[in-house]
Amino acid sequence: MRQRLLIVDDSMTTRNRIARVMDDPRLTGLRVVGQARDGAEALQLARSQQPDVVTMDLTMPTMDGAECISALVSLLPDVRILVISALSDKLTAIRVLKRGAHGFLQKPFEDHQLVETMIEAIHL
Amino acid sequence: MNLRLSSVNAELKRRDVEVFTEAVGTYFERTTRKKATVRSAYLLESRDAFPLSDFTGTITLSGRFRGIVCFTAPRVLLHHVLMMTGESDHSDLAHCDLIGEIANQFAGQARRHFGGGLEISPPALLMGHAHVIPRLAGNYPFVLPLTWHGYEGSLIVHMEPNP
Repeated sequence: MRQRLLIVDDSMTTRNRIARVMDDPRLTGLRVVGQARDGAEALQLARSQQPDVVTMDLTMPTMDGAECISALVSLLPDVRILVISALSDKLTAIRVLKRGAHGFLQKPFEDHQLVETMIEAIHL
Repeated sequence: MNLRLSSVNAELKRRDVEVFTEAVGTYFERTTRKKATVRSAYLLESRDAFPLSDFTGTITLSGRFRGIVCFTAPRVLLHHVLMMTGESDHSDLAHCDLIGEIANQFAGQARRHFGGGLEISPPALLMGHAHVIPRLAGNYPFVLPLTWHGYEGSLIVHMEPNP
C-alpha cells in the first residue's frame, strides 16, 4: 500500500514543487494526500487524512513547524516527518529532531536531493 | 564580486554582505541549475530611492543588527524561474510567493552567519515600484545587481550593528 504524504509549507510554489518531485519513479510508494499552509491547517488535515509521512517547513504563520511537529507526533505517533527549511543551523536541526522529526533538508534544494533525503527519511 | 565598503558603513564587514549574495546565488543554482552573476556593488546615495523592480521580498533585522535586506526582480525573471521549476501557476500571487521564498533564504543564511541575538522578520512582499523603504540615518544601502539568465535583479543590503 502506498504511504500517504502531507506537504506543509507556507509557500504555494514550494508546496507545488515538492508535490511534483514526488512523481519521481523512485517515490512511487508515496501518494500526496494534502497540502497545508501552516501548522494549524496541517493538524486539521492530519486528523482527516491520517498521513504516514509529512514534509514540514519551519517558519510559518499561525503555528510554526517546530510546534506542529510536537502536536503531530502526539496525534500520529508513527508519522515520519521530514523538515524542509532555510533555517538549517545546528541548534534548529537538533531542536526539531528532538521533537520527533526524522530528517532535515536545507532550502534551497535540488530535486534529486529531495528524492534522496525522502528515501532515507522514510526507508522506502 | 568587487565590493568596496566605504568608511560610512565600516561597521559592516565584507563577509556580512557576501552571505546574502551567496544566499541568492545558491537559490538560483539549486532551484534552476543556472548560476546567477553578481556584478559590482555600489552605494545608494541618500537622495536616491531604492531601485525597486516589479516584485520585492524584504526581511527586517533587529536585535544585534538592524535594517533590511531585500531582493527585487522584474516579472520576467520570476516568470522564467516559475517555468523552469515546472510551476503552472503564473499569477501575481505565484510571483509574490516566489520572491518571498527567495527572501526567506536570507533568514537562514543570516541566522547561520550572525548567530543568536538576531531577530528576523518573515518576508514582506511588495509589488510595483512605488514604495518608500525607510532609511537608516547616516547609512548607505549597498546595491548588488545580479544577472540570471540574462535578466537583472538586485540585492539590497541596508543594515548596521544595533548600538
